Amino acid sequence: MFDNKKDDIFLSRWVNGDLSPEELSEFQSHPEYEYYMKILAGADTLDLAEYDVDAALRNIKSNKQTSYKKNTKPVIKIWPYLAVAASVAVIFGLFLFNSNDSFATSYGEQLAVTLPDGSEMILNAKSEASFDEKNWKTNRTVSLNGEAYFKVKKGSKFTVTTKNGDVSVLGTEFNVQSQASFFEAVCYEGKVRVTSNQDNTILTAGKAYRNITNTAPEHWTLVAQEPSWITNTSSFRSIPLHYVFKELEDQYNITINTKNIDTDIIYTGTFPNNNINVALKTVFSTLGLQYQLLQNGKTVVVEN
Amino acid sequence: MSDSKNSTCDEQVFDQFFKSHAKLLRSYLYYKFGDLDQAEDIVQDSFIKLWNNCSKVSIDKAKSYVYTIATNLGISIARHQQVKFKHQKYITQRKSDVTNESPEFVMLEKEYMEKLKNAIADLPNRQREVFLLSRIDKKTYREIAELSNVSVKAIEKLMHKALVTLRKKIGNI
Repeated sequence: MFDNKKDDIFLSRWVNGDLSPEELSEFQSHPEYEYYMKILAGADTLDLAEYDVDAALRNIKSNKQTSYKKNTKPVIKIWPYLAVAASVAVIFGLFLFNSNDSFATSYGEQLAVTLPDGSEMILNAKSEASFDEKNWKTNRTVSLNGEAYFKVKKGSKFTVTTKNGDVSVLGTEFNVQSQASFFEAVCYEGKVRVTSNQDNTILTAGKAYRNITNTAPEHWTLVAQEPSWITNTSSFRSIPLHYVFKELEDQYNITINTKNIDTDIIYTGTFPNNNINVALKTVFSTLGLQYQLLQNGKTVVVEN
Repeated sequence: MSDSKNSTCDEQVFDQFFKSHAKLLRSYLYYKFGDLDQAEDIVQDSFIKLWNNCSKVSIDKAKSYVYTIATNLGISIARHQQVKFKHQKYITQRKSDVTNESPEFVMLEKEYMEKLKNAIADLPNRQREVFLLSRIDKKTYREIAELSNVSVKAIEKLMHKALVTLRKKIGNI
């Protein structure tokens, strides 16, 4: 029936609903029918990765403008006037329009910030972020030091800049962590681009990227729907121990005295962000280390 | 440059044209050449070319102009590198509502979809192109035929073949 040379468009007509009632009922009683139904039903649930037509158009516009410039040469020298006007504008800008908004969290704090377009940013402990509210429409850029989780509304390019590199997206959910020598980006939904000094990669949903100074950048795949710290748990995956200590210190405002131990050993595990005793016990007992929280509640001494 | 209302050089006309054609062109290039990022780049380049030549291309010729340019760009890139299809990566399954099906059923279903996606990626180029334009972009056979300047009958044959090929590939699960 289906390899029949005479009716080589039978299935096309079926897909289109062009079969006569007799043909259709004959096909429906055929054992092959359900297999074809299943293929069609499966194919109809497929979709292509989203396309941001507006962003693509903007992209073309910016390219168009650069190609304009090549053809047009200024006839009159107006740049001296422009320069004066521009510097006046800059001075005014500095004094009047400096509308940078910044947010910072202290030890153990979390802060949810709603950005001007409704995108969300959740800051983890000991982190700082700032953005320009006035120009948000044209320039969705947040500068970050520390760790934050972003849920970005669709629209123009959204960029998080850090000392270690930039992460930019069109509309998605992702986590960025940037410490002194540590840079990590995790994409939970959509697609993000990570640009750092050494690297330029695209992360799709469920993919993560990490770059620790002096080691090769790593990529891995994850299953979580959002970062664990959102639900008050810090989690670590194959990471030098001193970063884990840093996080303990940031979450609980303590100092960990690590004189006698090797903080470069690799640690994988979690600890809660709302119970210091459980947190310390979880980390140190898995490492087989003895520890003591001193009377002042601020210093942890580790004994090997 | 002419200033007539329906000129391709009119920014509004151009924007409108882009918005109504870019998405399908992207799908078309993707199915044809198998690389989504590259397809998006080609869409951009072709439309920039259209803009730069807007005074020479009237809006009713613009569609075939853009498709011709894009296809040529795609072919010249494809010649340089062996195209490997990456369909499994970009073709996503629409999120269906939460089901209360048994985990076993859900797993079997997932397995089936994987198999289907692989089978689609392995289809001969023309069959895959037609099949996906029809199923994902919901284009009629006539519309698909117009994109590549062939008869509707030819598209119907390809669609039929695509289904037979998929059926053979997937087997009895």
